[in-house]
Amino acid sequence: MESNKRGWTTQWAGIAVLALFALLPLVKTSDYQLTVANNVLLWAVFAMSFNMLFGVTGMLSFGQALYFGFGAYSVGLFAYYQGTWWFLPALFLGMAGSGILALLIGPLVLRLTGVYFTMLTLAFAQLGWGIVVKWYDFTNGDDGIQGIMPPAALSNKVVYYYFCLVLVSVSVWFLWRISRSPFGLMLRCIRQNPSRVRFLGRRVKRNQLRIYVISAVFTALAGGLMAGVDNSVHTGMWYWTTSGEVILMSILGGMGQFFGPFVGAAIMILIEDMVGARTEFWSMVIGIVMLTMVILLPKGVVGELVQLKERLFKRSSALGV
Amino acid sequence: MQRNSWSVFLAVVVALAVLPSHVWAQEKVIKIGAIYPMTGRAGLYGMDSVAAMEMAMEEINAKGGVAGYKLDALSTDSKVKPDYSVRIAKRYIEEDKVHFLFGVVSSGVGLAVTEVSKQYKKIFIGTDHAATELTVDNFQPYYFRVSNNTFQSMAAGAIYLKELQAQKPWKRIAYIGPDYAYGHSQWNELRYCLDRLGVQYEVAGEHWPKLAQPDYTPFITTIMKDKPDILVSGFWGGDTVAFIKQAIPYGLLKNVLYFHPDAGGNYELMSSMGDELPDGLVLSARHHNNWPDTELNRKFVGDFFKRTGRYPSYAAEGAYAGVYAIAYAVEKVGNPDDADALVKALEGMKLKLPEDPEGFTSYMDPDTHQIVQMQAIGVTMPNADFPPAKKMLGNWKIYKAEDLLPPKEYIEMKRKK
Amino acid sequence: MDPSFLVIQGISGLTMAMILFLVASGLTLLFGVVNVFNFAHGSFYMLGAYFAYTFVSILGFNFWVSLLLAGVAAGAFGMLMEMLFLRRIYGRAEEAGFQILLTYSFILIIDDLVKMVWGTEYKSLQRPDGFSGSVELLGMVLPSYNLAIIVLGLLVAVGSWLVLSRTRGGRIARATAIDREMLSTLGVNVPLTLSLTFGIATALGGVAGALAAPLRSVTPGAGIEVIIDSLIVVVLGGMGNFWGALLGSLIIGEVTAFAVAFVPDWASLFSFLVMIVVLIFKPEGLFSPAKVRRA
Repeated sequence: MESNKRGWTTQWAGIAVLALFALLPLVKTSDYQLTVANNVLLWAVFAMSFNMLFGVTGMLSFGQALYFGFGAYSVGLFAYYQGTWWFLPALFLGMAGSGILALLIGPLVLRLTGVYFTMLTLAFAQLGWGIVVKWYDFTNGDDGIQGIMPPAALSNKVVYYYFCLVLVSVSVWFLWRISRSPFGLMLRCIRQNPSRVRFLGRRVKRNQLRIYVISAVFTALAGGLMAGVDNSVHTGMWYWTTSGEVILMSILGGMGQFFGPFVGAAIMILIEDMVGARTEFWSMVIGIVMLTMVILLPKGVVGELVQLKERLFKRSSALGV
Repeated sequence: MQRNSWSVFLAVVVALAVLPSHVWAQEKVIKIGAIYPMTGRAGLYGMDSVAAMEMAMEEINAKGGVAGYKLDALSTDSKVKPDYSVRIAKRYIEEDKVHFLFGVVSSGVGLAVTEVSKQYKKIFIGTDHAATELTVDNFQPYYFRVSNNTFQSMAAGAIYLKELQAQKPWKRIAYIGPDYAYGHSQWNELRYCLDRLGVQYEVAGEHWPKLAQPDYTPFITTIMKDKPDILVSGFWGGDTVAFIKQAIPYGLLKNVLYFHPDAGGNYELMSSMGDELPDGLVLSARHHNNWPDTELNRKFVGDFFKRTGRYPSYAAEGAYAGVYAIAYAVEKVGNPDDADALVKALEGMKLKLPEDPEGFTSYMDPDTHQIVQMQAIGVTMPNADFPPAKKMLGNWKIYKAEDLLPPKEYIEMKRKK
Repeated sequence: MDPSFLVIQGISGLTMAMILFLVASGLTLLFGVVNVFNFAHGSFYMLGAYFAYTFVSILGFNFWVSLLLAGVAAGAFGMLMEMLFLRRIYGRAEEAGFQILLTYSFILIIDDLVKMVWGTEYKSLQRPDGFSGSVELLGMVLPSYNLAIIVLGLLVAVGSWLVLSRTRGGRIARATAIDREMLSTLGVNVPLTLSLTFGIATALGGVAGALAAPLRSVTPGAGIEVIIDSLIVVVLGGMGNFWGALLGSLIIGEVTAFAVAFVPDWASLFSFLVMIVVLIFKPEGLFSPAKVRRA
């Protein structure tokens, strides 16, 4: 009952946030704000699908950049070699390809747990990065690919923004449904006690593989859409620092909360832009902000907010109002 | 505790949102949006560039500015990340309404930013990144580069090697360079130029350590096994220092001619290695503190020293040239707003720069938007005029600017691809 | 193939391995005893190099003394970090995640501190007197400083092992890894043990940086460049296993050295390939007996 109520609040909060994003093009003062908002949305999807592994199922993957890069480069390469008409098909091909790649790599990495799982995911992602950097003739190596344009119908910035927003909303809704479904509950059980899940006659690995693939598919979607925001892709998208970034976003926002990674992504991107614009010592400032938040907000931003709300709610009911 | 933590968090957010990033002066201003790395290993290049950029702007503003405008600039740390730099560029154009995009040390970042410049039709002045692609394969009309690219360095290098072969026959040539586009294109361009000059040679190994590889010993011992006559190096920055330091005790640099024509002769190598730097390395860079010995160069180097307390690396002169290029164009057009007229003006630009010897003036090649400059290749030798360096380059060989441009058929071949 | 080339290449790999081991040994100690993943370990490596530069080039100290001082300074910095910040998150739910975030924030802060104190110019340290040249052995040229690194690395390995296995302090540290609560009921000051271990581990990182400084360039951002390689080494050897870390370093060092010689185009990918192969066939690392695999 309690959790159901919480579920409703989260759902309404999510709808409200997405509605705010939908209003942005009407109130913006410059296209740059759209770019930033688009970055927030796409990194949010990336971080949320990562958190389905990490916060929900308890698998800390350090290799999600593999699928992000895969999604981005399938759009980038198709658009580069075949023309912009291929932008949309490539987006979906990238998602499918990522899913297949995850199906192949998943059984290998899922044999391990804990830090060993983490490091093996890192190794596969770095291998992917190495191949993209090395395969100069096909991928342009470190130069990346530029001039990736969405098809004519989406070429307007506002239209492309709404296009992204719709896909992001659908993804968020889908991930939300998963997280509230019996399957999502199973994943939570796997995080807390895998052997008990096994005693109950459920298969741990099959469920883990399922969510690993789902996460990869949505990560690829975020990567592919990002190619259209920047109109370029680059090898850094495959690099371990990219995987690291979503980890930071999830913890910062609160990995125990469904919208935690969303908020974490927004905070990271906004702080990066705001601090970067004002001081060359951005790294010190961001470091101190992070440090303060870790010490003072142990549940992540969203987690603490929820707690604050609950406390206020309890207090008022105690007063008998 | 709980409430406290929230108020701290909110205070930080509010402070960040309210603090203005930059207040433009009220008068008529030419706004430059500079993107440079200011942290990490490339940080030195960015800091030197920003210092030289500010120096050039102050010089021009002190003389009353250009066409009634003062110069002013924003600068942001690129973190050497292309996607982040794209965001900075868009912020500059849409929020800060800059007239020019400026800077960039990494070619990967340069290629991403030139895409933004093309879409928004905002002129992008490239000051330090060297990938030839920007002016050849990925050429777009709003991009201009005011420092030499790798092709020009390698063309000069190839002529040097050809002349050397006439005096002291060499045959075996090996290459070591960072394993990314910059490292690879140098080697391809050098071989293209050597072939074009009809030089006979034999490749004795290619080595691709990753960028910022900490340890080169296995590469050094492998190179020694291959016994090349000449070792061409394509490193930049700290990698050059580390490689040379590790190679010294093996005696590699005594048996093999170390040849590093694009970024090897940068001042930071001399300043950080002091007298540990061996004599007789053949190096060049996009600007030298002790060549050419002209009034303009002496003044540039001296002023930079007065300003920062250190001598400039080559990145500084590129940024300095960039500001003067902007001033040149605005002077010609009369305002900084008409991008297409500014492009026309820059295409016909002639500019006397610190790195121009007597009797030569740098000019813009209208076909590629690449500045055309002389290149000097020197040899390390004792010279304590620019401390903390104990060695500088000398024994210069000077190459004519026109001989260093990529030939028409090369450009056509690349652009077709 | 000239057999002496194989030996020379092997020794090249050994130098690489030893510095890697010095960084990784601290990291593995932290995993084993404090149960902390110190993402910022590379930053202590960088700090060590800058401290050594300051002691030698600015204060004019002897190189070997500076090496020691650099270790002490880096260790003191590490202890401070543990006592002021890390200590606050021990035992928190989802501690591992917060460790990553907290130590990552230290990478960011230390990076800028270094920039503020030492600037962005490259610093360089000369090899100590008597170690600037090379020795010739059976027709092979071997730089004496590289040999010194190899010897020192082995000394640190043996020394740390002796301390951990033969002294009271070492026994306490190992016990801390197993059961903190029990130890504190026995009257051991566990927080102090943890801080000291943290100090020693970061000191090892600092010494590694100082020792590497004469061979490498001392630049900002050097910390992030060593962390992934040392993490690979730690995992290869089995987390928290000292000898495992040594073996892991030797494998990575030698594989890289021979990959450079024989498959130069792909040399940079080999450390990851090795890790994939090892983890697929021996998921718990080469040395650790702990059960990691699920049945």
